[in-house]
Amino acid sequence: MAAKPPTTIQRRIVVAAGICVLAFTFVGIRLVDLALLKGRQTGPASVAENAAVVRADIVDRNGRLLARDLPVFDLYAQPADFWDKTGAARGLARVAGVSEARLARAFAGKHRYVLVAKQITPVTRDNVMRLGLPGLEFQPSTKRFYPEGDARQVIGMTQAVSGGRGIAGIEKGLNAQLAAGKPAQLSLDMRIQYALLHSLEATQAKYNAKAAGGIVLNVNTGEILAMASLQDPKRAGYDPTRNIMAANDYELGSVFKVLAFALALQDHTITFDTMFPVGPGFKIGKFTIHDAERMPAVMAAKDILAESSNAGTAQIALRSGPERQKQWLQNLGLLQATHTEIPERARPLYPTNWGQVETATIGFGHGISVTPLAFVSAVAAVVNGGRRIQPTFLKQDGDRRGAQILSPETSLKMRELLRYVVTNGTGKNADVPGYDVGGKTGSAEKNDHGRYIAHKLLTSFCAVFPVDNPRYLVFVMLDEPHGESAVMALAGHTAAPLAGDVIAHIAPMLEMPKTAAAVPIPGKGNS
Amino acid sequence: MIARVLNFFFVGLAALSCLALYRVSENTRVANMELTSINHQIAQEKSTMNVMQAEWQRVANPGRIQKLAQAYLGMNDAPVMELSSFETLPRRGENPMDANPVQNASVTMPATANTNLHLVVARN
Repeated sequence: MAAKPPTTIQRRIVVAAGICVLAFTFVGIRLVDLALLKGRQTGPASVAENAAVVRADIVDRNGRLLARDLPVFDLYAQPADFWDKTGAARGLARVAGVSEARLARAFAGKHRYVLVAKQITPVTRDNVMRLGLPGLEFQPSTKRFYPEGDARQVIGMTQAVSGGRGIAGIEKGLNAQLAAGKPAQLSLDMRIQYALLHSLEATQAKYNAKAAGGIVLNVNTGEILAMASLQDPKRAGYDPTRNIMAANDYELGSVFKVLAFALALQDHTITFDTMFPVGPGFKIGKFTIHDAERMPAVMAAKDILAESSNAGTAQIALRSGPERQKQWLQNLGLLQATHTEIPERARPLYPTNWGQVETATIGFGHGISVTPLAFVSAVAAVVNGGRRIQPTFLKQDGDRRGAQILSPETSLKMRELLRYVVTNGTGKNADVPGYDVGGKTGSAEKNDHGRYIAHKLLTSFCAVFPVDNPRYLVFVMLDEPHGESAVMALAGHTAAPLAGDVIAHIAPMLEMPKTAAAVPIPGKGNS
Repeated sequence: MIARVLNFFFVGLAALSCLALYRVSENTRVANMELTSINHQIAQEKSTMNVMQAEWQRVANPGRIQKLAQAYLGMNDAPVMELSSFETLPRRGENPMDANPVQNASVTMPATANTNLHLVVARN
């Protein structure tokens, strides 16, 4: 018996059932899609989309907060809503810390909206709300907050407006990264920064110096652990935001002799015991180079550095010659501006005509002006085994030494010489028991309109420790320190003890073990 | 007859599905509101934590701590020579004072408001 064909109603029911099944299948698929697949992503993604990108934090190498955007509010008022405008002005002025007279005048005027205060904190906002005044509006914004001012010249600042771009220091140099919400971890260690700043402040006050500055640098990574610039607020041109260690050029004087000796030892033009006539001064062309203090008639090279003889160093520099000296300083990066993450930098100043006289004076640090940051980068390369480093304000991992520009043997000899300066020479006051400090003093007469002024000194000390395997370099500088006498204002009595004080404070923080192994020091009469 | 039963069945199924969907939709809406509220709370808490972290950083500044320590604890800026390492401490079982036994020890508190502790160890 043949099957009965479906009736019209049956066909319609089947079609309707099919549509229902399709519809529910679609709904089911969509539910699975939302619940299991997209649904899991929707929550956090939507939150992230809603959250406005704020300028990212800046932290030090230990995660200590250095800069952060905090929520603040701009407070506006509609005076028409106040039933007692005088009372409202008084209350708002008291809570928001603004002028009552200004508010009273503004409330009495015809303006519909009056700006009461900009960038009030959430706590102040709560206090304002407790006044119970009608007609107040809080416009949310952000303010860049710097919890510590110890490294203000490095960190810099942003424009005062909400979401403002960086205008100085790291804030400017890393503006794109920070504005994109990516935090920056600096190489600075705020414990070291404080110790450096504290010692600088005390020494600047002690010697009534015009300015003071310091740098602590890791010689193997180029990381700058601390950098401080201090100026005397009573002097003309005072600018507390200026980073004099990165943006100012200085004729650093005798501390520069380290570079002349490194080149001479590298080229084997001298040994520790090569003798030079020093006593009566050194005549070159129509000039005679004298020493600030009386020197023996003849001195060994190592004693020329230890006693910081200009006449002796000039002769050593001349053995290298102008071309070689210029090439050497070029290799050390001293003839171009030093680029780091901060925009503050300065081009070095050096003679266009680099002749014999210039070679002699540059040997002992006159006739060339560089930034202290550029100088410490060069010295780091001399003592770290002879490899160039790139100074950086960002935290780094591992050894970042670059191209070899000095042999490891010469680097070792230089470390021995620097230790000799501290044990037997002008750097005695920089020594710290337990840490073998090596270093060099610099007492440069300042140049005032082409004339060197004897009583205006720029004293500095460049120290490395521990000298057998240097890890850190400490450079300190005092601008016009005033000692009890002219001699007491020299670097050996001002900058050297300052460097020692800094090392004594920071070495335990840097977990530096006290050195047990003796460092071979070239004693008198041997090399 | 079968068609009528099927009709009722599917209409009933559709009605139940509507109710179920409405319930799910309502639960989702409520959950979404709770989520928004919780997210708002989290954002507020984070904002408060950000402010407190910044405030903590300000009050824990080494300079401020040093001033407070000097003013209220009588502490000094100790040079490194006064610090020591763990290696120099006596190990367990070792006589800490060479071969000489400690006879007595006392802690004296100065009569003034200064809270410095002076540990006096007398030896043979």
